[in-house]
Amino acid sequence: MPLTPPLLSPEFLARLERMELVTRKVFRGRVKGDRRSKRKGQSVEFSDFRNYVPGDDLRRLDWNLYARLDKLIIKLFLEEEDLHLYLLLDASRSMEFGVPSKLQYAKELAAALAFIGLVRTDRVRIETLGQAASQRSPVFHGRSSVQRMIRQVEGIGLEDSISMDDGVKNFCLRNRGRGLVVLISDLMDKQGYESALRWFVVHQVDCYVIHLLSQEELSPDIKGDLKLIDCEDQDVAEITVTGPLLTRYQKALHVFTRDAQEFCIRRGIQYMFANNQIPMEQLVSHHLRRRGLVR
Amino acid sequence: MDALLTNTLSPWQWAVMGLIPLALIGLYFLKLKRQPLEVPSTHLWHRLIEDQHVNSFWQKLRQNLLLLLQLLVVGLALLALLRPGWQENALMGDRFIFLIDNSASMSATDVTQGRDNSAERDGSSLPAAGSTWSRLDLAKEHVARRIDHMTSDMSAMIITFAEHTQVVQPFTNNRKKLRRALQQIRPSAGRTHLRAALELASGFANPARITSEEDGQEYDVTDQSPVELLILSDGRFNQVDGFSLGNLRPQFLPIGSPEASNLAIVGLSTRPSETHVGQRQVFVQVANFSNQEQRTTIDLNLNGKLVDAAELKIAANGRAGLTFTLGQVAEGILRARLETPPLFIDRLALDNVAYAAMNPIQKGQVLLVTPGNPPLELALATERVSRLAKVDKQLVEFLQRSEYQRLAKSNRYDLMIFDQCVPSQMPSCNTLTIGRIPPLQSWQEKSSDKLSFAPHIVDWQRAHPLLNLIELGNVQIADSHMIHPPLGGKVLVDSTQGPILAIAPRNQFEDVVLGFEIVGHDEKGSRNVNTNWPRRYSFPNFFLNVVQYLASGDIGQDSTVHQPGASIGLPPAMLRSMLNDHSNGDLSWEKNSDLAPTQQKKDFQRKLENLNVILPNATQRTLPPPQYGKYVFHETYELGIYEVRAGKQRLHRFAVNLLDPSESDIRLRVSTDKVAGYPVVHSISIGYVDIAAQVHSVPIRQDLWKGLLLAALVVLMIEWHVYHRRVYV
Repeated sequence: MPLTPPLLSPEFLARLERMELVTRKVFRGRVKGDRRSKRKGQSVEFSDFRNYVPGDDLRRLDWNLYARLDKLIIKLFLEEEDLHLYLLLDASRSMEFGVPSKLQYAKELAAALAFIGLVRTDRVRIETLGQAASQRSPVFHGRSSVQRMIRQVEGIGLEDSISMDDGVKNFCLRNRGRGLVVLISDLMDKQGYESALRWFVVHQVDCYVIHLLSQEELSPDIKGDLKLIDCEDQDVAEITVTGPLLTRYQKALHVFTRDAQEFCIRRGIQYMFANNQIPMEQLVSHHLRRRGLVR
Repeated sequence: MDALLTNTLSPWQWAVMGLIPLALIGLYFLKLKRQPLEVPSTHLWHRLIEDQHVNSFWQKLRQNLLLLLQLLVVGLALLALLRPGWQENALMGDRFIFLIDNSASMSATDVTQGRDNSAERDGSSLPAAGSTWSRLDLAKEHVARRIDHMTSDMSAMIITFAEHTQVVQPFTNNRKKLRRALQQIRPSAGRTHLRAALELASGFANPARITSEEDGQEYDVTDQSPVELLILSDGRFNQVDGFSLGNLRPQFLPIGSPEASNLAIVGLSTRPSETHVGQRQVFVQVANFSNQEQRTTIDLNLNGKLVDAAELKIAANGRAGLTFTLGQVAEGILRARLETPPLFIDRLALDNVAYAAMNPIQKGQVLLVTPGNPPLELALATERVSRLAKVDKQLVEFLQRSEYQRLAKSNRYDLMIFDQCVPSQMPSCNTLTIGRIPPLQSWQEKSSDKLSFAPHIVDWQRAHPLLNLIELGNVQIADSHMIHPPLGGKVLVDSTQGPILAIAPRNQFEDVVLGFEIVGHDEKGSRNVNTNWPRRYSFPNFFLNVVQYLASGDIGQDSTVHQPGASIGLPPAMLRSMLNDHSNGDLSWEKNSDLAPTQQKKDFQRKLENLNVILPNATQRTLPPPQYGKYVFHETYELGIYEVRAGKQRLHRFAVNLLDPSESDIRLRVSTDKVAGYPVVHSISIGYVDIAAQVHSVPIRQDLWKGLLLAALVVLMIEWHVYHRRVYV
């Protein structure tokens, strides 16, 4: 009986066990797994026939054809392999805000997705944007890695700010392999998220962007004459909060999320907007399922 | 006080006040203390602020809205401190008497509605000329405006004055009543008499001290507070001497224009031609009250038909006369009309027409009782006298006869002249007694029966109609009675010895007594000369006057000028004879007046008691019964022809004309102010007090500061609203 991690409740885990990750692309895996691979191999799913050449495994000879045609024909089956699931978390200081904090929420989400992956014998790697190019995270595989995975997720803390572009670039340099990448971030990068996301396109990974914002960002409960200080770069914006200003903020926020969604869709990136107030179970079992990330 | 703004602060106070807006702006330049707040990212906020910079001008304006509003509040408060205001026609005082001139000259149409504004503007009290309101309309408008400005604790009365004074509305604080009374004021054709109006106003303003006793305590019930007297007139009247204003505080508000031009008929009379018997002459005098020579045409209408017309050239500010000669005209209505020349604006139309009523000449009846007096008989036989009266002559013995007794009781004669004799009983008509004292107690108890020798005439009443144009300085008298008239009488000629000619009333008649005989008789009975008077020109003139005054009344001048508002006296003898003419001239009953009154006489008396006067506007008035020997008719306010009627018979006509140069000269009297240099309207003088003509507005300052402070309060509330609603970024 595994220890109940604080991130995920047992009931939630039980539900997650019935899910699996979905990728729209087929990748080559490393070890035999549950997923179709481009490689031919051993499975129950027929793919093709070919002539026997010495050295082939005799167990794969089609004896029925030999009896009928007197030829040694080998039956080819589709190989089922594992999936590389990369979970990329934005752990910048801006993720600290909100109740629960966006980072906490992101960690829960990452743990949930990783759990699904591990249960389905996918290879799971959890990294953060602030990680150095040389610092690799361990790869988890199999149900037995759940505990380690959770510990790693729990260990993720706030990191110094790094531009999103650099973070994604480092990630891509570290992980040459293709797979499913889930980026959980608030996309609040003053230099823009566009160049960062283009790295995923170039790397031909199946990318999901979960745009996570806190309730405080969606509808700020502030008033009066304020000096807003950016927690990351200590940038200052002086405002006098008024009703019209808040309305305009809402409009700007809407434009921001719409632009991000449009950008992603145009480049084949799956985009999903998430709010830290949505219960995790609902997010995974309802929203992510509708988006096609899990089933 | 008359400036738009009034300074209420000293310079250092202003300096402090001036610092307030500066401090306000200074505060805005200070950095607003903002509360620091850490946020995940200022990314979106910066994008917002960048959007704002696109229309930063309006943003700044909106940002400064509060500052602007606050500056506006301070500005309004500062403006309120300057006490902005304006002058307004308002009233000062509690009680007002409006004296409105409604004389003929107030009908002049030389004023405009907004005239007083221009007068206020140029500072002089002279109105501008040129439009079509009448002066009375404007005066009423001025009073109406003042009534509008009255508050409920003010009271006012309205008096109109012209020939007669009328209280249109006694003191009231009911403005509705005042306005209604004001509407009822109509122009009259009368002359201006301010004094009566002043006396009336004074009666209201200076009541005698009256106390009332209630519960053993005395209260002063008369209000001795000052009363504002506003005289709205064109100033065409003489100064009022010897009048004390008392509580009255007069203001003279001149109405009219000094340039008002007018052509007027100022004289119209008719009389039989001096040279041609049977002709009648009409004299018309026209005055030009303008500064340019004028040519005008005078039409003469008789009974509605044009009979003559003539052109007349009148020098500037001059007069010119015309004489029309008519044929034999027994009676009729004569109308002279002045045609206004083109290009001439005649501001007063009332005096462009004048009427004359020509009545059939009624001769007076004179009875001369004399033992024989050739100079006297000659004097009474002149053509002029015969035109006025028919003179009958009787000898002294006639007085003893019963016929005289009858005549004395009747009204057959208008005048009896007793020369060197006296009747036992005075007749019921006017008398002239020569050389005797009348048999009346009142005369005899004072006059001496003795003759005084050689009295020298030292003085005579030249103003009396009997002595009109009479020169007595060269008259010498041998001896004469000294005549002392009874109470109410009047000495007409005084000599070194005492009075020798006197007149005194007797009931409705008048008795004249001449103390000396003209032709006397000595003890031997032979005729001698008592005076050289018959050789003087004054002798026939005196008897002409006697006949004219005592026998014919006004008949001699058959077109007497009556001024509007004047009381017209109508001698009963004239009316009686007129009525008698209509009654087929039958006087037989009168000659036998001791007989029992016949039905005819009754009718006649009844008719005489029911005389009517038809006014020019065709309304009818009853002529009141005669008093002091004359019928008197007062209601002559309108210009035109008046008819006296007995039933449907027309007995007499008389005309009422303006014919008053002082009313027709409608120009405001002006003089140049020595100090100011511009022309000002003449002041009027009331009992040694000169009342300068005032500009029509009584300046009262209307302050704005309350409104400004109220506006500042409203702006402050808007500012508060803006601050809390945050309708800016």
